[in-house]
Amino acid sequence: MTATRQPTDDSARYDIPAHASADDPRVLLEEQIGVYEPVPPFPPRTEREAEFYTVGDGEMLINIGPHHPSTHGVMRIVMKIDGEKVVDLDPVLGYLHRGVEKICENADFHQTITHLDPLEYVSSLFCEWPAVMAYEKLLDVEVPRRAEYIRVLSGELNRISSHALAIGFHALDLGGLTPILYSFIERDEIVEMLAALTGQRMLFNYFRIGGVNGDLNHEFMSRLGDWMSRATTEINANLGLLNENEIFVRRNRGLGTIDTETALRMCWTGPNLRATGLPFDLRRAHPYSVYPELDFDIPTRAEGDSLARYLLRVDEIKQSLRIIDQCLQQMPDGPVMAKLPRLLRPRPGRAWAGIEGPRGEYGVYAVSDGTDQPFRFRIHDPSFLHLQSFNLLIPGNLMADWMAVNASLDPIMGGVDK
Amino acid sequence: MAVVGRRFSRLSLPAKLFAVGLPVLLVAGILTVAVLILALPLVVSAAEDNLPLVRFLVAVVAVLLLTVPTAFLVIYLELKLIARMNLRIGPDRVGPFGAAQSVIHGLKVLTKEDFTPSGADRLVFTWAPVVVFMATVMTLLVIPFAPGLFGTDFNIGLLYVFAIGGLTIVGLLMAGWASFNKYSLLGGLRSAAQAISYEIPLSLSVVGVVILAGTLSLNQLVLNQAGSFLDWYVWQQPLGVLIFFIAAVAEANRTPFDLTEADSEIVAGFATEYSGMRFGFFFFAEYVNVFVVSALLVTLFFGGWTAPFDWPFPIEAPLDPGSLGITLLFLLAVVPVVATLLFALPFWLGRSSTPFWQALIIGFVIFNIVAVAAVLGWAFVSFDWVVGLLWFMAKSYVFVFVLVWMRATLPRVRVDQLMGFAWKWLLPAALLNLFVTASAVVILAELQ
Amino acid sequence: MDRRLKRRLESRFADRLAGPIRQRHDETELRIGPGDVPDVMRALHDEPELRFEILADLAGVDTGHAMQVVYHLWAPTTPDWLRVIADGLSRDDPRVPSITFLWKGAEWLEREAYDMFGIIFEGNRDLRRIFMPPDYTSFPLRKDFFLPDDAARSPGAGVRQMERTHVPRDAPATGHIRRTPAG
Repeated sequence: MTATRQPTDDSARYDIPAHASADDPRVLLEEQIGVYEPVPPFPPRTEREAEFYTVGDGEMLINIGPHHPSTHGVMRIVMKIDGEKVVDLDPVLGYLHRGVEKICENADFHQTITHLDPLEYVSSLFCEWPAVMAYEKLLDVEVPRRAEYIRVLSGELNRISSHALAIGFHALDLGGLTPILYSFIERDEIVEMLAALTGQRMLFNYFRIGGVNGDLNHEFMSRLGDWMSRATTEINANLGLLNENEIFVRRNRGLGTIDTETALRMCWTGPNLRATGLPFDLRRAHPYSVYPELDFDIPTRAEGDSLARYLLRVDEIKQSLRIIDQCLQQMPDGPVMAKLPRLLRPRPGRAWAGIEGPRGEYGVYAVSDGTDQPFRFRIHDPSFLHLQSFNLLIPGNLMADWMAVNASLDPIMGGVDK
Repeated sequence: MAVVGRRFSRLSLPAKLFAVGLPVLLVAGILTVAVLILALPLVVSAAEDNLPLVRFLVAVVAVLLLTVPTAFLVIYLELKLIARMNLRIGPDRVGPFGAAQSVIHGLKVLTKEDFTPSGADRLVFTWAPVVVFMATVMTLLVIPFAPGLFGTDFNIGLLYVFAIGGLTIVGLLMAGWASFNKYSLLGGLRSAAQAISYEIPLSLSVVGVVILAGTLSLNQLVLNQAGSFLDWYVWQQPLGVLIFFIAAVAEANRTPFDLTEADSEIVAGFATEYSGMRFGFFFFAEYVNVFVVSALLVTLFFGGWTAPFDWPFPIEAPLDPGSLGITLLFLLAVVPVVATLLFALPFWLGRSSTPFWQALIIGFVIFNIVAVAAVLGWAFVSFDWVVGLLWFMAKSYVFVFVLVWMRATLPRVRVDQLMGFAWKWLLPAALLNLFVTASAVVILAELQ
Repeated sequence: MDRRLKRRLESRFADRLAGPIRQRHDETELRIGPGDVPDVMRALHDEPELRFEILADLAGVDTGHAMQVVYHLWAPTTPDWLRVIADGLSRDDPRVPSITFLWKGAEWLEREAYDMFGIIFEGNRDLRRIFMPPDYTSFPLRKDFFLPDDAARSPGAGVRQMERTHVPRDAPATGHIRRTPAG
């Protein structure tokens, strides 16, 4: 677009401090390092920053993260606390920002699928799904029904494994060491199944434009059948470890309560929104794939607190099992991939696709300009918006409550930071 | 000189150590022997005059030496038991069934870099782990492990235990403050608040036992519970034992009350800035504290070293080795040889592939095992302190198991819920227990 | 493809549309100018016939000759997604009124669009960078983003403490758009 610019040397414009180390003028020496206050480098640039970084009497700023066992990834929260009580929060993101959107602008349509897996890495299939749906809209491709059923089947398996992980980490963040290992039993089996199907245990790279990459095989079906026969009892036993634990319930009940109206204003979706009472599920609200043919309920809970979100995830696992059952019974025969040219050049246009992932609405907006690379590839991640609500949910509670709320919202920083 | 230096540098490392060490050892040995010969009568007479002091010194050394293997054992148990409860295996590489894992942890902790953060108060930072560790270890001095096997028979032993146990709070606060780190400060303050809140129910819950026994001496408390398990104070103080157990778990900073080291909240709490052996002190102190808490529980409520039923041992065995005289020496010379040959014979005769010398070695090993077992059995049968010690350890480790079990199963309590529980529930319950016990004692005395 | 929705939108927003309403598959697309954003969004959100209560996405797009802000909305009244494209923002000084008065959750989405493109959302209380470091001097997703130039000024080049990076002496107190020398 513009002519090549030469790199400019701005060192003269910058304020290099007088005491520099002998070998490297940019390194600060020990005596300059005072108290490590997480202050911003500039004078406050926005209203909110000024409000937050003004520390009142008895308050102190403390960093949670980025190295922290409970931040579900690499995230930094600057907390203003008054003793143990949290007064305000400022999440700082970007530690895991990989520039995926920019990378995808320079990659073929097929290559972008691989770039999307590591976003919400625990539920990778749901990261690929809206992208392939958007491309199929751009290319006007009809996906074979068998491929759709396989997508739903593998997607629901991934949903179960993602919820199991979320539940386990919820318990771990509150101090229980055991439930995570029990929920990882489920996740382990599902991950092995999906490895038999897709070839990978975690970042599956399975969905393709126009279908999926390979049909069901014997190993997958045998593992799946084996697991389905004991799934309900196992899930009830393993994942119900905490439902009635007094300590767990008391730490979660009434915490981080949000009502539906506020949740809609904060653009929440997914189980977090359904836990406030609104049965908004994209699989029913805006049906895609073969979900109209499948019979399942949308669990909701009315309280809107952390315990409701936790219990809702357990309910959703049960619904997913129903869906998997129906998929297996109704699976049609046919091809698993539509016939497409190898080099894809869609007409210039725009397409949006949103699906119901385990954390909420996961969306992709793809703009094509007629070449074989997307012109603009926008990824919308649900956890990004859930993290924004910390300022509503946590002030007034204790620092330990931040762990409980964070774990119940189930963010995945890979998706948040893209 | 240069020749010596050149030849020295050509030696291998073990040889160098040998070449330097052997003359040093010889000189040191000769000097020590000389000093001993000259000074021994003086030392012996001084010791004879101050026998209780000598006994106390020996006890202190024994207790200090006991803490580290205890910590190792408790750490190993925790790793293995929590792993089994998590459907995992736990350490199983480093020794038979991973038994040497704790030792390796100890060595690892010794070899780490030991630094003080800049800005930290050096003196306080260095002494905090010492205070915590010593406070924990000193409680072991008054606990009776077996009849006659205690550090000192304090007649205010119980008071001493709670007083010294309170010193750990000082240590934690020192650690939290001196680390120059907000996380540590928060952790230290939390732990101080927790420990102080639970001190009171802890002390009050045992006052019931003190009223029943009439003494603060731990040794006397155990002797009062001798007989059968119906004499144990747990039946007479059910509420007391419950309160004591919960408060002691909170004092020991164990889950569900382990928010001082809540590693998913404030990383490592007060110990965030500690590394190397300083952290090792905190680490060991925690696990020794687990043992101490169990030991106290057993001593106060579950009979200490007494057996739960009429244990027929020790038997006064009519064996007096001294009466054999010269035959003893003869036996000591002959029996090992004969026994080795005897145990070796089946292996040599039965398997044609075993050479004689190999069979001899196997026989010797078996003789050693049999001899040690026989000696231990004889000690068990004839010394009441061996019996008492075994019963005490068995009971204590049952409660160590319970504490480890609780860590594996329960999530963490929040700090305000914890304090609320201590002040609103445990304290009134302890007072109620005290009131009921005291009135019962008075009423029963009136009725008789 | 909901024809009724198209007719309803055409009749309601006839004067504000900057182009025809396009429909394809299950999406309806609306183009407006940046100044019309608050009114149109408020109408879409509040009117009982439209009720687009769920903001699904807010994205910035750099088309090479102009910038756009693209909103995706969902309503229970129609089976289509609604895409509202606020088109025609200049590439040198893109400004759009913020919709945080309707959806508080749009605050971070707008921060992301600012961070990646430099689009200023007027009325957003907290328009600072969200992914890039706070004193990053470039906007990555723009089509004229040139990496080596940016890396020379990157604060990560050798300074140890990220938060205490150096302030250019003539940096104004609030965030500003970096003008490209080529115009």
